[in-house]
Amino acid sequence: MLMQIAEPGESKVKEACKARVVGIDLGTTNSLVAHVADATPEVIGGEGGPLVPSVVHYAADGGVIVGRPAQARALDAPRDTLASVKRLIGRGAKDLAGIRAMLPYELDGDDRSIKLKVAGDRLVSPVEVSAEILRELKTRAEAALGGPIEGAVITVPAYFDDAQRQATRDAGRLAGLEVLRLVAEPTAAAVAYGLDRGSTGTYAVFDLGGGTFDISILKLVDGVFEVKATGGDSALGGDDLDRAIAAALVPGVASLERRVIGAAVAEARRVKEALTEGSEAVFRLAEPTVELRVTRDDLVRIAQPLLERTGKACRRVLKDAELTREALDGVILVGGSTRSPVVRDYVAQLFDKQPLSDLDPEQVVALGAAVQADVLAGGRQDVTLLDVVPLSLGVEMMGGVVEKLIHRNTTIPTGATQTFTTYADNQTGFDIHVLQGERETADTCRSLARFTLRGVPPMIAGMGRVEITFLIDADGLLRVMAKELTTGQEASIEVKPSYGLSDEEVEQMLIDSFEHAEDDLARRNFAIERVEAERILAATRNAFASDPALLEDDVRAAGEAAMTALEAAMAGGDYLAVRSKIEALDVATKPFAQRRMNRAVAAQLHGVSLDDAARKVGA
Amino acid sequence: MANPSSSSDPFGLLGLAPGFDVDLAALERAFFERSKAAHPDRVAGSTAAERIAALSQSRALNDAYQLIKKPIPRAEYLLVQAGVTIGDNERLDPTFLMEILELREELAGARAAGDTAQVAKLQAVMQARRGEALGALGPLFGANDFAAIKERLILLRYINRYLEECDAALDED
Repeated sequence: MLMQIAEPGESKVKEACKARVVGIDLGTTNSLVAHVADATPEVIGGEGGPLVPSVVHYAADGGVIVGRPAQARALDAPRDTLASVKRLIGRGAKDLAGIRAMLPYELDGDDRSIKLKVAGDRLVSPVEVSAEILRELKTRAEAALGGPIEGAVITVPAYFDDAQRQATRDAGRLAGLEVLRLVAEPTAAAVAYGLDRGSTGTYAVFDLGGGTFDISILKLVDGVFEVKATGGDSALGGDDLDRAIAAALVPGVASLERRVIGAAVAEARRVKEALTEGSEAVFRLAEPTVELRVTRDDLVRIAQPLLERTGKACRRVLKDAELTREALDGVILVGGSTRSPVVRDYVAQLFDKQPLSDLDPEQVVALGAAVQADVLAGGRQDVTLLDVVPLSLGVEMMGGVVEKLIHRNTTIPTGATQTFTTYADNQTGFDIHVLQGERETADTCRSLARFTLRGVPPMIAGMGRVEITFLIDADGLLRVMAKELTTGQEASIEVKPSYGLSDEEVEQMLIDSFEHAEDDLARRNFAIERVEAERILAATRNAFASDPALLEDDVRAAGEAAMTALEAAMAGGDYLAVRSKIEALDVATKPFAQRRMNRAVAAQLHGVSLDDAARKVGA
Repeated sequence: MANPSSSSDPFGLLGLAPGFDVDLAALERAFFERSKAAHPDRVAGSTAAERIAALSQSRALNDAYQLIKKPIPRAEYLLVQAGVTIGDNERLDPTFLMEILELREELAGARAAGDTAQVAKLQAVMQARRGEALGALGPLFGANDFAAIKERLILLRYINRYLEECDAALDED
């Protein structure tokens, strides 16, 4: 597993006065960038409007095209024109089994991460593709603001797990952006709404994008935005509806060739969008030949299973927030997919309220992110975001059961500590497997990191105690520390999960961490030997002083030399050297100790107590 | 489970008098007021030492708020302050235990039969029991009857586990 040593208190935020900072909504379908000018957030425009389609085309000559021009290549070069990569970021092949058949791309990879094969047999990762989109937004912002961008807040779905967040952060880094903070999309949307209307109250944010669904409940009071609970499905969005429409209208579409799937899904999207305004549309495909009249009722029927998945998540979040729908002051719509009347009607019915969408649902997230970037850069100080951990965090116990240390919807920053005991006799290491998710067993949760705490002294099972601490900072990044308690000895390691690093980097980090663990063990052993050495030196000096008559000159000289050598070893750091000098001192003073013992035995025979004799030896 | 940063006095941190009866609106106000000042975002551009201080202060506030906001952690904390501890494997009073075991069997049966209506009914029964047990805590704290509080808290552990099972059963559909 991948991990990275983190400096305590490390922050991506640099000392900055009034910096050129932006907020970026890196969406599944479209992305955009916004900034704060004169205390008001505004989106940054460009050719074809502020929205940049999240599409990257890799040309045969090695060139890369982003946005609308790339989108134009989708039909004739579907394999080399990557869209919706947000669905793939931070995911492994196993996670994608469900949608793989409907993706027009060539995937290559393992359970941890995947790559896409594009023109010229190039392999690109979702992190690299996302970085291309971010680079395009950065270029736009630099042109508009007249200088280099010094920092960015990038939004992620609230329900993204740690791997997906880390991968997004890596994409920012790869694009040359200083990522000030990752902010949850619904939280950013609530900030934009709250500031725009000066609202106070409890709101639900229903965010259905191209590929992700989030539902968050926030309390807004006087510039504080407290997330009460969040939930969702990081693999559910408008794309799924497009695919469901294609599957319903073109039987067996998933088994057709990629180009045809691409065309069918694109036509499905066109029909869906046409039904936003009109009440019916015609679905037309040349190959296989399909021509069907589709009504809004048909769309409702096809969308129903997907909408019900959102409904289930909404009910769970209300429950987590310990609220009923009547307690909500409003429901805010976010994400391009909420433009569809089918979705609006469902939300209105679900919450028994007419949802709010007076701010553009496709821009509101970027606007909120820009505000948070301004806050972090030292601009406005009247906004405070209190976000939460979206998914529980825990460790694996014996038998593969997960013990949760931090529960979902806990406000960050936060921390938790729990003590675990050893399970085997003479166990000297303690394996720690860090997991994220709501399920009860390790194999059903997301594995974030694994490490081993070494240097547990051999003891019978259950006696060794290891204290594990989880700390989450304001960025939502996790650090895990482990400490062995029985000896009071501290051996700790700090980890944070990372998925964007190369295997070599990760391996080096692992080696470093193990070397540190061994360093800690050596330090502990040295401390033990030094205490022992001090005790023996004091006892020997005491005995030399109290029984000079029994001390022959050559034994005294050998003893003094051995004591000097031991003191020299104690000044070094090598516990093995100390141990061998202790043994040498033992050997040198053996004749003297023997003589004293003989005298003590003789004294005993003459009625002197052994206790008294022993005290004289200084034992 | 102990939170490392709130080992001190969560009530004091939020400027509240310790006690089971908490004005939740005042608690939230106190938490928001203090969070505004202490949040790491306030000092994002400042020195490492200030950022670390803000982080730990903010963490302590969050942990204190979580602890006081919910009645069970609040009661457990106050009980420990009164010198009464609850271990991990505390046994329930035998009468309660028999009742819970019977209800648990009924739940297992309903779950196996896929009878969600029955599961929902058992859930409602348990939610009522939960309400009763929580409602009893206030007066018991008023009377300083820590033994009875402890008993209710152990019962609530069983009830909560039962309700989790109900949720899982209702989630299966």
